[in-house]
Amino acid sequence: MQPVLSFEQAPPISVPYRFFLTAPLFGVVAGLILAWYGPAALISRWTSGSLAMTHLLVVDFMLQVMCGSLLQFVAVVAGANIWRPRLVAAVVHPLITIGAVLLALAFVMELPLLFLLAAALFVIALGFFLAVMAFALLRTPAHGMTIHVLRLAVVGLLVTLVLGVAMAYALGLQQIGFPLLIFADVHAAWGLGGWALMLVIGVSYLVVPMFQLTPPYPVWVTRILPAGLLVVLGLRSLQLLAANEEMPAWQSGVAILGMLLVGLYAVTTLWLQTRRRRRLTDVTFAYWRVAMLALLGFAISWVIFEVFPELGIHPRAPLWLGVLALSGMFLSVIIGMLYKIMPFLNWLHLQRLCDPKTPPPNMKQMIPEKAMRGQMWMHFISIALLLAAVLWTPLATLAGLVFAASCLWLEWNLIGAVRIYMGFRDRILASAACRES
Amino acid sequence: MAEQRVIDGRDLVPPEPLELTLEALDSMGPGDELLLLVFCDPVPLYNILDRNGYRHSSRWLEDGTNEVRITKA
Repeated sequence: MQPVLSFEQAPPISVPYRFFLTAPLFGVVAGLILAWYGPAALISRWTSGSLAMTHLLVVDFMLQVMCGSLLQFVAVVAGANIWRPRLVAAVVHPLITIGAVLLALAFVMELPLLFLLAAALFVIALGFFLAVMAFALLRTPAHGMTIHVLRLAVVGLLVTLVLGVAMAYALGLQQIGFPLLIFADVHAAWGLGGWALMLVIGVSYLVVPMFQLTPPYPVWVTRILPAGLLVVLGLRSLQLLAANEEMPAWQSGVAILGMLLVGLYAVTTLWLQTRRRRRLTDVTFAYWRVAMLALLGFAISWVIFEVFPELGIHPRAPLWLGVLALSGMFLSVIIGMLYKIMPFLNWLHLQRLCDPKTPPPNMKQMIPEKAMRGQMWMHFISIALLLAAVLWTPLATLAGLVFAASCLWLEWNLIGAVRIYMGFRDRILASAACRES
Repeated sequence: MAEQRVIDGRDLVPPEPLELTLEALDSMGPGDELLLLVFCDPVPLYNILDRNGYRHSSRWLEDGTNEVRITKA
């Protein structure tokens, strides 16, 4: 049974919007870092530039939008009362912003103290966020696979945080003998699989049929995906118990099982898209299609790297996977959803200010279609350039600049939506004031 | 003479069915009926209708269509 939407619980518009408007700026910074470092950033995933860029994208872009979205989504879909959403946003947003900047600086400048400061900020911010979310999700009377998967995603974020903080403290205190490589592997698995992908999966069970007019996800798929991912992540985490840093051979089988699940999700979503009731495609549809193709590419690439280890041990193999996962899949889904969420939230909040005789402006007026399509194509080009740069590193500077420009255009489009909201809001309030006087 | 207007929201992306319905409410006369066809239970619409003095009823068809009939109270 689908959860019932409850707009009465929607938090103030400023709560999610501060997260949404901050995120693309850090995409710009990540792109400029790549442009600055050039080919040197792509020698391997362990370079300062590569680590800084990765964490700017996953924390200051992805995590920002996901936290802001969850504060909105959980209230509307779960009908859950988020405890003091303005206060939560006022604490979480600045702390994770500053924390991620400090973390990126820590990688670039190799200053141990910055790792400790960043870790402390993340513990406060995400600890608070997780407590509020857990409380809301556990207390809601709403049920269904979306709610269930959101709960798992919150657990995934908690595990990611714990592992990340452990590594930050080890780096900050310069602990010798800390199994950093194993922790990094398990941390990335939980962060991308247990938190980010789990969240996308849970949300997609509702938003793909709703906004893309597709049939619902098959029930057996909705059940096997989260359960399977948890099993895979649990087995992957057994590495933490290993006495040395060598990955046992059976972990390869675990990884392939994980990729089969990832591939199942991508293929199912693509199949649902072919069965949509409405043939017209919009920007959100196109972004989801590219995201699922990137995710499928990620799964196939990983399996190839497992089966042909001579390819998998290449230092740039993880970068290939990283571009497909972060830029290709997660950013595409996020941007596609922002182009739906922000006009919708504009409309919802303006509708509350209007009386039935003066309906709010049409949603399509919030962000011009041409602007969204232009930015979309620039993002797709940036994905292609980033992949090409992994294969031929002299392209790194160009790829970084195009990626930065794409994020800047996204920011411009989102700011435009906010300006339109404020303009209409002021007009509605002025008109109401005139009628009363 | 009472009129019936039909809005088929089944192939429209949210909140377009809600937008069209709210626009149509403005031109409804006494005794007129608005028939909204959707594949979901539009609870946000029900809340708006309840707050603004409209009556509504829904009937589910075999193909999953929800026929929502709206009149002025």
